[in-house]
Amino acid sequence: MNERNDTSTGKPAGDALMAAASALPKEIKPGRDLWPGIEQALTRKQSWIGPRNRQGVFAQAAAVLLMIGASSGLTYLAVKDGSSPVSPVVTGVERVFEPVSGSFGSRYTLGPDFLEARNALAERLEGEMEKLSPESRAVVQRNLDAIHDAIVEINKALAEEPDNVLLQDLLLRSYHEEVALMQQVGGIRNSAMNRTDI
Amino acid sequence: MEAVLAIGSTGSKLESVPVTGNDVKDEYYWVEQARSGDVSAFEKLYRANIDRVYALCLRMTANAAEAEDAAQDAFIQAWQQLPKFRGDSAFGTWLHRVAVNAVLGRMRKSRRERDRVDAVIDISPMPESIGDDADLRDLEKAMDSLPSGARHVFVLHAVYGYSHDETGEMLGIATGTSKAQLHRARRLLAEQLSTHGRTTNGASI
Repeated sequence: MNERNDTSTGKPAGDALMAAASALPKEIKPGRDLWPGIEQALTRKQSWIGPRNRQGVFAQAAAVLLMIGASSGLTYLAVKDGSSPVSPVVTGVERVFEPVSGSFGSRYTLGPDFLEARNALAERLEGEMEKLSPESRAVVQRNLDAIHDAIVEINKALAEEPDNVLLQDLLLRSYHEEVALMQQVGGIRNSAMNRTDI
Repeated sequence: MEAVLAIGSTGSKLESVPVTGNDVKDEYYWVEQARSGDVSAFEKLYRANIDRVYALCLRMTANAAEAEDAAQDAFIQAWQQLPKFRGDSAFGTWLHRVAVNAVLGRMRKSRRERDRVDAVIDISPMPESIGDDADLRDLEKAMDSLPSGARHVFVLHAVYGYSHDETGEMLGIATGTSKAQLHRARRLLAEQLSTHGRTTNGASI
């Protein structure tokens, strides 16, 4: 360690100070046992980012992304090829999906503009769906359901890991995929639907 | 067989913790177990290292509650980063660096939540850590009053014996900045201690 002979403290004084500093105890017992809090965090995180499951989480996240990407592709093909026959909408179980407004994590917020534009798009989607063939409609509905399931799952994970950037990005992309899918169905182009709205 | 685990890899005045060969083997075993996801093995590592990690956090934060939170963060981050631990250094050395990062991370966050931290400071007196030694107690109090940049360098270099290169690397500052901060810390401490009637000569600090 380099000792300084600084004029403000003087060499002997500086030496004494440094010697005293090095004599300070290096171990101090905390006022309480910190392990329960750590254990709780580890147990909670283990399913997402613990050493054993880290790879699994990212694989899961990648799978969701792939699934969302594939759904977009399938929707594009279905809508592109199957828009001629018009028949009544037949759906199985009616699914209602409401996006979670407010903030998620610490990076993004679903803004009111986004929600308003998304809801308008969703309303318009109903009309556009009626123009599709039953097969195309089924494909679109399945893909929308898949995206909504993904959003629900990601939101559940975010409830436990609100600052997980990967999950935040995944959720953001999922909402964008949903909007892109809705736009594809009717060839809708809405300039309000971009990243800055979230 | 006796071995010595050193905190810091190249510093000339390192904290040396005598341990037996069995301790080293045990630590290696528990690290391997923890890496495979064994939380109870990680608890063994926690029990063996918490006092050293907490002391470092306490000296860097100068606040008991913040130090407890930082120490918890350090172990949580260590758990998450265990796959990156290659065993090039002792686990305690690696953990020290994780703890420094945890403290710095919390302090960056604290700057954004200054009101909350101020409230914590108000209700969290420093624990008496050094018994009846008045000189050392005065030094600890004086260290607490240092600006954080100077305090961090003083703690890592003067208390724990890290070199300026190591200190700079851990704090993300240049080696020259580390030296300048140490100079500043020593000047402020000398002023503080002389104000309180302690000299920096002779038997007193």
